[in-house]
Amino acid sequence: MDMKQHCVKLSLTIHALHQCEDGHSWEAFAHYNADATGTVNVSQDPSLGGTYSGVEPMGLLSNLRPVPGSKTGLRWRKMNVQTPMGVTISVYQGHQTEGFLDQVLLASVVVERWYMAPGVRRVPITEGGLTATLFLPSGPGPFPGLLDLWGWGGKLVEYRAALLASHGIASMALDYLTPQMTKETGRMVDIDYFETAYRVLEQHPQILGSRIAMLGLSFGVGVTLRMAVYSKGLKLSCAVCISGSHVQPIDGPLEQMLTYLNKNAYKMRSDENNQVIWRDLMLPIPTDPSLKVDMGRLQCPLLLVVGEDDQNWPSSESAMDMKEMMERAGNSHLLTVLSYKNAGHLIEPPFTPFTRASTTKTDTNPPTKVMTLWGGELVAHSRAQEDAWRKTLVFLRENLYGGMKHGASFSNL
Amino acid sequence: MIALGGKMIPCYTVQRNLACIQRIVGGVRWTSSCRPAPLLTASPVRALIDDKISIRGHFLPPRCPVTVCAQMQSDDGDLWEAFAHFNTNLDGTVNLTRDPSVGGSYLGCEPMGLLWGLQPAPGAEKKKVETPYVMLMSLLKGHVSPSERPSTELAAVTAERWYMAPGVRRIDIRQNGVVGTLFLPPGPGPFPAMLDLWGMGGGLVEYRSALFASRGYASFSLAYIGHKDLPGPQHRINVGDPYFKSAFQLLQDHPQVYRDRVGIIGLSFGVYLTLRLANHSDIKPSCLICINGPAGSNIKLADADGRTEQMENDQKYWTYDDQGTVSFRAVSLPANLSPESKVELDHLTCPLMYIVGEDDLSASSIENANLIEETLSAAVKSQLFTRLSYPGAGHLIEPPYTPNSRASLWSVKPQKLVTLWGGHLALHAAAQEDSWKKILEFMETNLRH
Repeated sequence: MDMKQHCVKLSLTIHALHQCEDGHSWEAFAHYNADATGTVNVSQDPSLGGTYSGVEPMGLLSNLRPVPGSKTGLRWRKMNVQTPMGVTISVYQGHQTEGFLDQVLLASVVVERWYMAPGVRRVPITEGGLTATLFLPSGPGPFPGLLDLWGWGGKLVEYRAALLASHGIASMALDYLTPQMTKETGRMVDIDYFETAYRVLEQHPQILGSRIAMLGLSFGVGVTLRMAVYSKGLKLSCAVCISGSHVQPIDGPLEQMLTYLNKNAYKMRSDENNQVIWRDLMLPIPTDPSLKVDMGRLQCPLLLVVGEDDQNWPSSESAMDMKEMMERAGNSHLLTVLSYKNAGHLIEPPFTPFTRASTTKTDTNPPTKVMTLWGGELVAHSRAQEDAWRKTLVFLRENLYGGMKHGASFSNL
Repeated sequence: MIALGGKMIPCYTVQRNLACIQRIVGGVRWTSSCRPAPLLTASPVRALIDDKISIRGHFLPPRCPVTVCAQMQSDDGDLWEAFAHFNTNLDGTVNLTRDPSVGGSYLGCEPMGLLWGLQPAPGAEKKKVETPYVMLMSLLKGHVSPSERPSTELAAVTAERWYMAPGVRRIDIRQNGVVGTLFLPPGPGPFPAMLDLWGMGGGLVEYRSALFASRGYASFSLAYIGHKDLPGPQHRINVGDPYFKSAFQLLQDHPQVYRDRVGIIGLSFGVYLTLRLANHSDIKPSCLICINGPAGSNIKLADADGRTEQMENDQKYWTYDDQGTVSFRAVSLPANLSPESKVELDHLTCPLMYIVGEDDLSASSIENANLIEETLSAAVKSQLFTRLSYPGAGHLIEPPYTPNSRASLWSVKPQKLVTLWGGHLALHAAAQEDSWKKILEFMETNLRH
């Protein structure tokens, strides 16, 4: 972003303002000195202070945080992916830190950030009792497919699947914790729910059944690994697991995972700010093989993304244990681990606001609100998101699109 | 859901059955194989009209013939198309920023060739600037024409091309008798501004103003002929000098316009209006941009009492080729212009940029540029004059990466004619790209410093 002025040696504040879907306002700002031509270039010039400092091309987006006076414990998420995230970027004279609405505004622009590229189709899926949304890229296909799983809190979270479809992968966001089925029966879904989702992808006329991946975050990692290793009903081309663990009781229904967590709930602790740390529930990593997925039996490439300051799940410890299991079994060539110092639990697509802790509802009866600590330090976490997302896209493309034989032509295929 | 024989069937079930039939028949689509379709990407997928876009194909077989084609629908529903033939690289990619087209709508390495190479329907132009052009780009197997898309399409990507950036405001102006559309950039202002004048085609042409606003300038598209909100019969100019002065002053007086930095841009007949307006002692523009237009006219503007004259005088200068296509070029030859109409430029105080399409078949641009240059030189004001001249470019030098036509339908009562604009595709496109850049630089120099 460039900004030109006819005055020289001006001290300026660049301010970003965004109103999210819940109506809360988020802002970021940075202090710059314009050069002799009256130009500030955020991609190249250092911020001298504000909500970030140094050279941060995307700092105005990654550093967005609730404006002073907002409710505590907010977490930024876009639930409607069919509209853009609008951000107003403004320039103020001097180095300001507050009261922006009352200051003299020099100039501003409006920026739109999208999860869905033009031409991407959004298709709600209820077949087979699923609560899901499928995103299809433009074009005839066939496209590789992907099953996208989020974690605790459930709901149908669409933005990552929409973004993946914008990169050419037909992706299905699947609600498996709060789907219609669970609302009606009161019971958690089981493995066959995911196998149905896989089948819907596999049989879709525009999806190539032989190139389907799974991506899981947090609780979704456990499901992904279980499906990848044990399910006879599916064969994954590859899997991406972010901030999760292989630790779970592997015999019996999926619901047992919840039981296992509840049994260990006493290990939950709070830090000095009364923010809840859940990571100890699965520690220490068990040695009992019935309590973790047998990673030695994994047959597809796996990308593990881990934040070393994850306060919600023991992702680092789990990653280390998974690596050891695979080295012993001789399939560690399938494993790639991306481990980020000072990154927290919520490793998401980049350039969106960072949340170190936010309000979550417990599943007690009645439910209570607690401040859950996700972990991570803003700058390190933002960089981790940027790097991890780029590498995830490369990993998925290589495994889902790649493998073109040399000398192949259209007629060979 | 589809209703089939009275029964409701989920759409995708029907699609699946059709796909199976395709496979059974051993259909033409090679995609019924164990490989995903190749990937076609465009970046950025949402951009302004004058932004470049990078189009690439990936995961293709190496050294294979492919066609990339672009399709766009105009506001009137007409379909425009362009296509280019490539051979993929050893790594199975095609990259329009790097690779030459070996056939199709253009040849050679032209990153934006699929956009300016679009062949438009006659008379098509974007009237609704608040919606984007939606471009569908497809990757086709082999060196084929777009008509074979249904059976050869491998991949596709959709891109949006906008005249209006987010935050730009479009405001209808009907004030003091002035008819136009004002575009304001986002933000508080005050903004430098442009008065935007087009040719005798009439109506309100908004897209250049929308782009100026997207680049930070307030811009006012002014109607002066062929608009229902203007007085008198639509085929005549029923407004005069006071009208254009009011328009300029209205723009200057706008609370978000920086009154000491207002310029004027005119294309075709709009050049005459630009020069005439700048000639008034109480109108002080900061700069003038003239594209392919005359320094005088046989058409009289309405006088102080609103009286006008007929326009038939000019028809004697129309020339026709064997197909009956008309060229208006001779109308604006300096020798054919009424002497008293030629604008005096001795009092000019601001920089003037004149843009010439050397293949302009609608106006005598070269001759008029010469005339203006001579006049200014005689007044010892050569330092104000800049000429940009483009070989092979036609009359309608417009914002870049948009389709150009050498001729189009011209609605003139009582008969409809096809008129010749001139311009050869690739040369005209290059002229649009270069001149637009220089127009924006000229505006920055004169309106921002």
